[in-house]
Amino acid sequence: MICAEPMPAVVRLGGEMADIDVKDLVKRYGDVVAVDGLSFSVQKGEVFGMLGPNGAGKTTTLEIIEGLRVPDAGTVQVLGTDVLAHPGTVKERIGVQLQATALPDFTKVREAIELFAALYRHARPTAELLAEFNLEEKADAYTDKLSGGQMQRLSIALALINDPDLVFLDEPTTGLDPQARLNIWTVIEGIRKRGKTVVLTTHYMEEAERLCDRVAVIDRGRIVALDSPRNLIAANAAGTTLEFARVPGLDVEALRKLPGVDRVVADGQVSLTTRTPEVVLHALLDPQAPWAGREGTGGDGEEEGMIRDLVVRHGTLEDVFLSLTGRSLRE
Amino acid sequence: MTTFGAFRALALNRVRASVRDRTSLIFTLGLAVLFMVIFGLLFGGNGVSLTLDAVNNDNTAPSAGYVTALRNVPGVTVDVKTHATAFADLKDDSVVAVLVIPSGFGAAYDGRGPSQTVGIYQAGGSSSSTAIADDVVANVTARFASGLGHSTITLDSPKAAAVNQVTEMDYMLPSMIAYILLFSGVNYVAIGLVEMRVKQVLRRFRATPVRSGTILAAQVVGGALIVLLQILVLVLIGIWAFGARNYGSWLLLIPPIVLGTAAFVGIGFLITSIAKTSEAARALAAMVTFPLMFLSGIFFPMTGLPEVVQVISRILPLAWASDALHQVMNNGAGFSAISTDCLVMAAWAVGAITLATWRFRWD
Repeated sequence: MICAEPMPAVVRLGGEMADIDVKDLVKRYGDVVAVDGLSFSVQKGEVFGMLGPNGAGKTTTLEIIEGLRVPDAGTVQVLGTDVLAHPGTVKERIGVQLQATALPDFTKVREAIELFAALYRHARPTAELLAEFNLEEKADAYTDKLSGGQMQRLSIALALINDPDLVFLDEPTTGLDPQARLNIWTVIEGIRKRGKTVVLTTHYMEEAERLCDRVAVIDRGRIVALDSPRNLIAANAAGTTLEFARVPGLDVEALRKLPGVDRVVADGQVSLTTRTPEVVLHALLDPQAPWAGREGTGGDGEEEGMIRDLVVRHGTLEDVFLSLTGRSLRE
Repeated sequence: MTTFGAFRALALNRVRASVRDRTSLIFTLGLAVLFMVIFGLLFGGNGVSLTLDAVNNDNTAPSAGYVTALRNVPGVTVDVKTHATAFADLKDDSVVAVLVIPSGFGAAYDGRGPSQTVGIYQAGGSSSSTAIADDVVANVTARFASGLGHSTITLDSPKAAAVNQVTEMDYMLPSMIAYILLFSGVNYVAIGLVEMRVKQVLRRFRATPVRSGTILAAQVVGGALIVLLQILVLVLIGIWAFGARNYGSWLLLIPPIVLGTAAFVGIGFLITSIAKTSEAARALAAMVTFPLMFLSGIFFPMTGLPEVVQVISRILPLAWASDALHQVMNNGAGFSAISTDCLVMAAWAVGAITLATWRFRWD
C-alpha cells in the first residue's frame, strides 16, 4: 500500500494546531438531518478522506467547512480562523473543487484559469498551472470540450490557483475511467508531497486506501469510524483471504492448524481466511513444509509444490463499511 | 485581487461568453435584424404616404385649422367625409385611420367649452403604417393643442406642424431597440443566472474570497452590457444597411436605453428568484416577453387593443420604453416628452432589482 503510516497519536493530541477543527456540527434540511453532530480534526500535511455512500452528508460537511453553507449548530475552525465569522479570510487560503463541473459556459481553459486568478489576492501564473496539469495543448479549447480527466485536472488546477495550504476535493474521480483515475491519484499524491493538507470525499474504497492517511467513515450524517485505512480494515474487516487450488494429497487439516488461520473452506479450491496474512503466507511458502516443492535431483529440475494458483484478496474499506453499517457503500 | 478587478473579470467573462453563444444571439439581435429585413421588403423603405379621413362634427374655424395642420404634414392626405363614408373607407382599407373631431372642438379651442377628445379609429390587423399615422396625428394634435383628455385644455393658435417624414425603417429601428431591451434584457439574466446556479458555477465562484454581492452584481451588469452591445450593433446595422434615420438627439437616447435595460434586466433577475430550473426560467421568460412584445406597441399600435389590455400595457415598462424611443427618434422630442417614460422605467428598474436581490436564492 502506498499510503503512509497512520498519524501518530502524539500529533493528534499535541501542541500544533490542527488545520481543521470541527466540533458538534449539525445541519438540517427541513426534517432531514444531513449532518448529525460531527466532530473531527485534520492535521497539517495529512490526506484526510471522508468515505460514505451518496447522501451520507460528506458534501454538506465539506461545504460548511469551505464557508459555503451555514450549519445549524457547531463550530468550525479552519487554519486557525472561525469560518462562520470570517469566511473571506478562510476562502483566500483554501482551494476548493466542487463535485459538479461548475465552470461558466463558452469559456476556454486559459480564460477559466485567468478568471479565477482575478478572484484571489495572490494567484499562480497561468502558464505554470497549464504546464503542471498537462493542459498546455488544451489551453485554447472550450472547457466543455475537455474529456472527463482533463476537466478534473483543470478543476484541481483551479483549486490550487491561490497556492492554498489546504485543498478540498469533492469526489475527484467519480465518473472517470480507470486510466484517468490513476492520473488524478498521481496528481493528488503530488499535492501531498508539497506538504499541503488535502481533504477529499469519495465512495471508492480503493481511492481512500491508496491516498488517505486517515479515513472518516460517514453514514447518515455521523462518523461511524475514524482511523487509518489499514487500522480500519484490521479492526473491522473479515481479514485477508488466501485462495489456491486443491491439489490431491494436500493436507487440509494441517493448514487448519497453521498459526493465524481463522477459517479454512476446502471444496474445489482452498480458501483460507486470516488477519495476519504475512505470517500465514510465510508458512505456506516455507520450503520445509510438507506441501512445498522439492529440489529435483533428476533432469526435470524442480518438483512442483502443492500450493498452486495462489490468489491474495485483501479486506477492503467496502468490507469495513458493510460491517460498520450493515449496508453496502454503493447501494 | 481588488473587488473591482474581480467584478470586471466576472462581468467580462459573462459578456464574452454571451457573444460566443450564437444560438442566443439569433433569437435577440438576429431576429431584430430579420424583422427589419421583412418590413423593409414589405414596405420598400420609402417615405410613407398616409391617407386619413376626418369626420368634422364641429365645423368651426379651429377645427378646419386642425385639419389643415394635418394636411401640411408631408405625405399625409386628409379627406373630410361624413361619418358613414369615412368608416366605409376604413372598412375596405382605403384609409389607415379615421379622425372624429367632436362638436365643441372650436369652443374648447377658444376656451369657451369643456375639454374635448379627437377620436382616432383604425382598422383591425393593421401594420406599422397605422402606428406612424398615430404618431403623426398625436404629434400634430399635441402641437395644435397642448394636451388632450378630460383635463382643462389650453390651445395654441393653429399652425402647421413640421412633422418628420417617417419611413417604415425609421419607425422599425426604435421598435427593434425596444425588442432587444425586452428579449435580451429578460433572457440573458433570467436563463443565464439560473443555469449558473443549477450547474453550480455560482457556488464555485462563492468558494473564492469574492463577496456574494460582487458575484451577483457582475452577472447582472454583464447581462446589461450584452443588451447595450446588441443595441449598438442594431443601430449601426439599421443606419448603414437599412437607411434608418434618427430625427432626435443621440444623447437623449441614452436615458431610455439605459433605464430600459435596467428595467428589463431587473425583470430577468426577478425571474431567477422564482425559477428553480433553467427550463422554468425559459418558460417564465417566454411568458413575460411574448405577450409584452405584442401588447406594447412595438409592431402595431396599442390603440387597436381592448381597454383592459391597454391598461395592463401601460403598467408594464415596454410601452414606455417604446414610446420614449419613438418620441426621440421619430419625432425629435425633447426630454420633457420622455420624462414620464424614463420615470416609469426607473421605477421598474429599482423595484425589480431591489425585490430580486432580496429574494435571490443561491441554492
